[in-house]
Amino acid sequence: MTAFAYLAGLLLSIGAIVLIDVRWRLAFRRAPGPSALAVGTGTVLLLLWDLAGIGFGVFFRGDSPWATGIVLAPELPIEEPVFLLFLCYLSLVCVLGIERMLRHGGRRRAPSHGPATAASSTGDVTTTPGGRHP
Amino acid sequence: MTYALICLPFLAVAVVVAVVATRTLPPGDRRRRWAATGIAAAVLVVLTAVFDSIMIAAGLFGYADGTRLGPVVGLAPVEDFAYPIATVLLVPAVWTLARRRGTRAAHDED
Repeated sequence: MTAFAYLAGLLLSIGAIVLIDVRWRLAFRRAPGPSALAVGTGTVLLLLWDLAGIGFGVFFRGDSPWATGIVLAPELPIEEPVFLLFLCYLSLVCVLGIERMLRHGGRRRAPSHGPATAASSTGDVTTTPGGRHP
Repeated sequence: MTYALICLPFLAVAVVVAVVATRTLPPGDRRRRWAATGIAAAVLVVLTAVFDSIMIAAGLFGYADGTRLGPVVGLAPVEDFAYPIATVLLVPAVWTLARRRGTRAAHDED
């Protein structure tokens, strides 16, 4: 069971980001296509980066009791693309979340129909839970 | 040195895409995007220092001798910090470009 600890931790962490994303309509719930493209592009680029590192003999897979030991390629464990996806998704939600906080100046609720709110410049939907749906 | 040299082209791509993407934003949004990118980078760098060290201590991966510059934060080699910095620049940038393209395509249909 411990062999799945790292993979389970990664999946659990991705699940937590999904909850934040959905609750505050930051990425996938706001723009599913662009979000998939952005996280996908990032993950593929980081995989190439990893493969370059492996190719030049920089990285090697450790013999950890916390990893499954399943490899996709020499020195590339099955956990690695999951980690890279996690990192890309976390980066996206982090930047978009902080952007939202900066836009609303720390206020919990944004006025949905206020005169010319800052949010109108990007055409984003309101952040209020249960607010307008597209 | 090898590891640092591998990081450079990927970091360069991330910087270029981020600059191109933010240029498509109106000035207010552009400033906010750079501020958010900076804060997110700081957060992810701290998280990387903590969790990368834990992952290395857990023996999940290692680095070959003589491929690194030398400086470490905890157990994390400085080169590892290029990953979160690149993703914070690149991923939201691709998101912005894709979203813009989608909006434009929708307008074209009208």
